[in-house]
Amino acid sequence: MFKNYINSAFRNILKNKFYSALNIIGLTVGLVSTIFILLYIRDELSFDKYNTNYKRIYRLESDFRIGEKHDKFAITSFPLAPAPKLEYPEIESFTRMFRNENMLIRCNNKEFYENNIWFTDSTHFSIFSCKFIYGSPGKALCEPNTIVLTQKLAKKYFGSENPLGKLIYTNGNTSYKVSGVIENLPGNTHIQYDGLISMSTIAKFIGFERFNSMQPEAFWNVNPFSFILLKPNVQIETLLQKSPEFYKKYMETIGKQINANFKLMATGLGQIHLHSTLTADEPTGNIFYVYIFSFVAFFILLIAAINYMNMATAKSTNRAKEVGMRKVIGAYRVQIQRQFLFESVVLAFISLIISLFLIQSFLPMFNTLTDKQMSFGIISDPLISVGILLITLLVGLISGSYPAFYLSSFIPAVVLKEKNKVGRKNALLRKILVVFQFVISIFMISSTLIVSSQFRFFQNKNIGFDKENLLFTQIQDTTFAKSIPAFKQELLKNPDIIGVSTSFGLPYNNFSIQVMRVENGGKMQEIALNNIIADYDFIKIMGMQIVKGRDFDKTRGTDLQKAVIINETAAKKLGWIEPLGKKIQYDLNLDGTANRNTRVIGVVKDFNYISLHNQIEPMVIFLQQRPGGYLTIKIKEGTINKSLGYINGVWQKFGVKNPFDYKIMTDSYNTVYAHEKKLTQIFTVFSVISLFIALLGLLGLASFVTEQRTKEIGIRKISGASVASITGMFYYEFSLLLGIAFVIASPISYFFLSNWLEKFAYHVTVSPITFLLSGIIAWVVTMLAISFHILKAATENPVNAIKYE
Amino acid sequence: MIKTVNLSKVFRTDEVETTALNLVSFSITKGEFVAIMGPSGCGKSTLLNILGLLDNPTSGEYYLFEREVSKFTERQRALLRKQNIGFVFQNFNLVDELTVFENIELPLIYRGMYSGERKKRVEQILEQMQIMHRKKHFPLQLSGGQQQRVAVARAVVTRPNLILADEPTGNLDSANGEEVMSILEKLNQSGTTIIMVTHSQRDADYAQRIIRLFDGQIVTENIRERFVI
Repeated sequence: MFKNYINSAFRNILKNKFYSALNIIGLTVGLVSTIFILLYIRDELSFDKYNTNYKRIYRLESDFRIGEKHDKFAITSFPLAPAPKLEYPEIESFTRMFRNENMLIRCNNKEFYENNIWFTDSTHFSIFSCKFIYGSPGKALCEPNTIVLTQKLAKKYFGSENPLGKLIYTNGNTSYKVSGVIENLPGNTHIQYDGLISMSTIAKFIGFERFNSMQPEAFWNVNPFSFILLKPNVQIETLLQKSPEFYKKYMETIGKQINANFKLMATGLGQIHLHSTLTADEPTGNIFYVYIFSFVAFFILLIAAINYMNMATAKSTNRAKEVGMRKVIGAYRVQIQRQFLFESVVLAFISLIISLFLIQSFLPMFNTLTDKQMSFGIISDPLISVGILLITLLVGLISGSYPAFYLSSFIPAVVLKEKNKVGRKNALLRKILVVFQFVISIFMISSTLIVSSQFRFFQNKNIGFDKENLLFTQIQDTTFAKSIPAFKQELLKNPDIIGVSTSFGLPYNNFSIQVMRVENGGKMQEIALNNIIADYDFIKIMGMQIVKGRDFDKTRGTDLQKAVIINETAAKKLGWIEPLGKKIQYDLNLDGTANRNTRVIGVVKDFNYISLHNQIEPMVIFLQQRPGGYLTIKIKEGTINKSLGYINGVWQKFGVKNPFDYKIMTDSYNTVYAHEKKLTQIFTVFSVISLFIALLGLLGLASFVTEQRTKEIGIRKISGASVASITGMFYYEFSLLLGIAFVIASPISYFFLSNWLEKFAYHVTVSPITFLLSGIIAWVVTMLAISFHILKAATENPVNAIKYE
Repeated sequence: MIKTVNLSKVFRTDEVETTALNLVSFSITKGEFVAIMGPSGCGKSTLLNILGLLDNPTSGEYYLFEREVSKFTERQRALLRKQNIGFVFQNFNLVDELTVFENIELPLIYRGMYSGERKKRVEQILEQMQIMHRKKHFPLQLSGGQQQRVAVARAVVTRPNLILADEPTGNLDSANGEEVMSILEKLNQSGTTIIMVTHSQRDADYAQRIIRLFDGQIVTENIRERFVI
């Protein structure tokens, strides 16, 4: 019986090459898309789980309430991990990590800027799984001024030689001994580092006592990521329940003084990548997108399966006689069903084989699209390969289910006599399936249009400052910082350089949050506010707009100590109808005094200094007491190369120890929306795929419909119908189906897309034009696809049609 | 072997009711060769479909092998059919995607016969029908006569008690038609009961009895050679 099914299946595939090809192409494209999405989802879900103990590793996090301001941070204070380790036996170990940004490394007469060197405790390797090539995990980072390199960095600095024991140097000629080399981290880790420096280096630098302080003040400044390893069979909730008592013991003293509170939070290591939405976190994925892509994969496969169903039932005329005869000679209905299910499963597995070749070819492109580093070998992972086989089997069974049910219902007495009547029945179901496919396609097209519209909105929105033609770098050389005023003057001699500014804090890069005291009804009230500390030129260079009062003025000697500028939101939030002259105290002392007593001299128009995902918050700008932080240079449009040459020359003239390593503000801005950009690209690709598969089905259906109605077309032409009226008749019929799909898809798309847009503080509105455009795109593409068959049928000699019958 | 009592078949659509058979009663003994004749639309094929358990009557009784089968479910009919009845059709109804061997083998597969036994049986029939040399060919590669021989082979490979033939020579020329009729005659002589629907008087002359239908009713029975047990 099995052999009979196989023979029948393959010979039917070969007999109907055109339709078989359409089915195979559709199923292949569907499977390739689905498998890619499966790989993507698997990678996303696997983040950090390569660590042997990942189920016991948690990241501690900070929930601060300061006045009305409530912030949740992915980072903690320095003592927040060691203190609980002392208190609670449930914790087996802890480690902390923080990134040393833009670190200049000198090695073997070469200089490199590294952005992925992190400081960490010596316990790091007892918590996280790292494979050592040289050195040992227990000793590698015990001593100060030691560094563990990844293979990638070791090769970069030392080539193929063993670097163990060798020295590398950073700014100021600090040396670090290479105490270990580890294998490169896999792609699926939420903290990507290239090198790890011992945390005891910092302790040695600032003093061990100060570094390890567990005084209350030490708990109120956040910096590192803190991880703990729980003992086996310990639940994290047990620890978190002790947060109030911990707070009381270590932090309450300060908290009461500044009207603040703290709660300890924790996230399991395996959950961080997809579920963390905390401030100051590393770039993460988003579980929302995992859900979206799961649905996309499901719908694309569904469209491919519907194609198969439609074409199989449409072509059922050709199988009717066979079904009837098989029943006559003794086949039960279930045996007929089994036969057709077998055929569809065979087709699915043929498609799978082709899919695997295509996946291997397109994987590099997919990796670029998704910023992943997956290799084809991942297919051999048992979970993946079983998943793929099951999906293929499921697709085959689902695709073949309705045709098997339908074809097996044929009554022998009917089909063996009345050849042409079957296949025309169930036209209604076929139309419903086509409409359903196009609902999905129109939804995908609308989604793509809205997502790309939102992305363009991010790109083009007036963000309250001029991000164009801005270069910036971090001032690392402290001796250079003293020469900044002269450096600025030298740069400004060049007419292509419009302005130079320095600031601690920069939009899209950094700013700090500090507790301040603000005037409120005659009293001073504590509140945590975002702030940037900048020089006199900052607001001008950034192209910000003063809407009330004035900008900082160098000629006014009092501005340096007593002036502050706030944004519109700060004025609103603080309830200041007339903000000019209001007091803000900054750099507070515990005795109630402050080192900076300022008054508001101006209000700047709101500017988006963080992602447009979030609402603008109050921002306060103070003047720098001394230059430092970021050096920002505004250049004339189109002069970047020329200007860079000049800047580099001046930089070297001033003898700055590190090379001029700069970033461009628009790049920083775009990085924030990298997710949306990727989403746009991915949605576009899958929209095209879903439309393509739907069109394949329509192509097959158009071919079948025109073939079936050959006699009718012939008679119409003989009766006087023109080619135009024949083609118009078919275009109308297909347009009607599309129209119905459009009416169904539009409200569904509106609902989902509106909900998605609500997640952004600033977003485009969903306009009816979007849906109209989606419908038009689907219509135009459909009409083009089916035109060949319709025109062929319409221009056929009518005599041939009658003769055929 | 076969007995019908007031067999009727009415086809109903939303607007039209057609009586294809009206109170048809007759009996057929084992080993008979019966021809059913009549003009187009008189109900011959409807009667054959009911006799072959491809359809159920609207009313009346149908006894096959002493059992009343008119109310049988599709599964019961399929079981009885595959155990006892072979079919030969005017348009052969071979499966185009299967070879001659595979077409003839098909009923044996549905009976659950093992492949070794199947091979033996099919080759025996192929020899008998003198089409062994074509066993790997597909139906579209055969002439009309050869295709009908394959169809007959398929009908008899299960050694049925009853063969139902619906205009078996309708699509054949006279020479091939005669060849097929002589095969049926030989089968009947070896004991197989045959009921044949035909327009051809020449073909009907092979039968021992001719039942003529008109407007769904038996009008005459012309017994050429009454078979007596």
